[in-house]
Amino acid sequence: MPDLDKLHQAVIEGDWKAAAAATQAAIAAGVAPLTIVTGCLVPAMDEVGRLFECEEYFVPEMLLSARAMKASMAIVRPLLAAAGTEPVGRVVIGTVKGDLHDIGKNLVASMLEGGGFEVIDLGADVAPERFIEAATTRNANLVALSALLTVTMPSMKTTVDAFQSAGLREKVKIMVGGAPVTQQYADAIGADGYSESAGGAVALARRLAVV
Amino acid sequence: MTGKERILAKLRGEATDSLPLMPITMMFAADLAGVRYIDYARDHRVLADAQVAVADYFGFDHVSAISDPAREASDLGAAVEWFDNQPPAIVESRALLDEKSKLAGLRLPDLAAPGRMRDRIEAVRLLAERTGATRVVEGWVEGPCAMGADLRGLNTLMLDFFDDGPFVEALFDFTVRMEVEFARAQVEAGATLIGVGDAAASLIGPKLYTQHVLTSEQRLIAAIHALGVPVRLHICGNTKRIVEGMGLTGAEIIDLDFPTPLGHARRAMRETQVLLGNIDPVRALRDGTPESVEAALAECFEQAGAAYICGAGCEVPRGTPYANLEAMARFARSRR
Ligand code: B12
Repeated sequence: MPDLDKLHQAVIEGDWKAAAAATQAAIAAGVAPLTIVTGCLVPAMDEVGRLFECEEYFVPEMLLSARAMKASMAIVRPLLAAAGTEPVGRVVIGTVKGDLHDIGKNLVASMLEGGGFEVIDLGADVAPERFIEAATTRNANLVALSALLTVTMPSMKTTVDAFQSAGLREKVKIMVGGAPVTQQYADAIGADGYSESAGGAVALARRLAVV
Repeated sequence: MTGKERILAKLRGEATDSLPLMPITMMFAADLAGVRYIDYARDHRVLADAQVAVADYFGFDHVSAISDPAREASDLGAAVEWFDNQPPAIVESRALLDEKSKLAGLRLPDLAAPGRMRDRIEAVRLLAERTGATRVVEGWVEGPCAMGADLRGLNTLMLDFFDDGPFVEALFDFTVRMEVEFARAQVEAGATLIGVGDAAASLIGPKLYTQHVLTSEQRLIAAIHALGVPVRLHICGNTKRIVEGMGLTGAEIIDLDFPTPLGHARRAMRETQVLLGNIDPVRALRDGTPESVEAALAECFEQAGAAYICGAGCEVPRGTPYANLEAMARFARSRR
């Protein structure tokens, strides 16, 4: 499928115009929308994540690829919806209250989207109530929390506790991450999962989504 | 030797009686002085009191006017969010330069007018009066990449590198012109050294760093040298892939965060380049013990060689046990 090769290439090179064009071409050639996601965008973003981890790509390159992937998703998403295709899972993601660092969260959100998840991105400095409201109204099965400051890590616990008090803890899995966060901390606050990288976040989300 | 003599001798490559000690303290200093961070960041008298108190308590060789990255952006009119007991932050979703065309209309702030930049200049003046005879008084400015990100929004700047190189050049040119003036005012107020913080540069790779950031940092640092003072370049985060370029900036002190081992930096730079750092602020300094702090510093010193100044990778975190910082001071005083 020459069109998908082009799309794959465009995502890796971060060329959003080429990605949009290749997506249109693939659809015109009769490629199924879901195939575009699972057969092309997912592996392309996996590769981007790998390049980032081995320090060949840096934040700018990764954001560029994410933009290209989103340009393709913008075309594919309505077609998937029209066909009634269910996403792999629905994730509400945000950086916790008091914390304005959003680069890592954005990368994780993009990787999840590229991984076939529907992503509801609440941005940075997100209070527990907003996570709860979004998870409820959007019927999410996953919540992803990011924190980059040791002083805002306690907001992760507050958020997990708020889901507990709201009686929603059984309905959603909560994953956490960000540079100062550790598996040990995730366990201590009663989160369901932790990953140190954006690529790892996708694998983790897939694991949590099926349980 | 006084702290000032010790630091300046080290920068000249001369012998010192012990290792200079220059850890960054901000929230930690405010906590020690028993003041809210919002007051520390807003009132130079509060900052100066806390800096002198923390330097006296632990025997630091310097005091610093560093507090948060939002001073310049505030005075230029950017939206800033204030927290009671945490540094203020620039609101990226309402970035001042959300439209690139707004750059052309941006004017250098008036440093004589009341404002957050003026407040830092006054902090320097007060610190110089109170402790400048025996300690290095460190002024502080944002590096071109960090300042560019403060104005444009970090996420957007990252894409600008690819979308519009000439805009990035123009943006960095503005930031350098502004920061040179800011540094000049701080030197005139008594700063003996200027720190340049360029954290955002740790997010980009060597290619973009060399292409866009390095030359701007070089211009800024050369202009500060022309004011007659040395420079401390601090880029927090993982700088392994750009550290070679950092060695070419001309900064007298290269201050590294913990992800970049000093041995790695040493191999990438000349033998006489002074390195500062770089134990993990949270895991080694805050969560360690006096013994583990000393061991971690011994490893840094070993890797850096003689051209070395003691410190943590970044700001001493709030909540660091005093005993751990005392261990750092003890280490510095017992080596030469
Ligand atoms: C850029 C930056 C900023 C920018 C943020 C802009 C933005 N839009 O994000 C600005 C200038 C605003 C900023 C401000 C501050 N910052 Co800052 N900042 C950084 C810096 C340089 C980079 C962070 C980053 O983007 N990393 C790159 C991304 C890709 O990495 P990441 O976020 O870790 O994400 C990866 C993983 O952790 C994981 N991940 C992330 N989230 C999630 C979520 C889930 C669910 C999962 C599974 C995985 C996952 O996947 C990502 C991709 O692999 C770091 C230093 C550094 N290099 O680490 C300091 C740093 C984070 N900042 C720090 C500090 C102290 C501050 C300030 C308090 C500074 C001050 N004194 O004024 C303010 C606080 C503002 C606030 N209230 O939030 C400290 C934090 C220390 C600590 N541990 O508490 C750091 C570590 C610097 C340091 N060495 O001291 N900062």
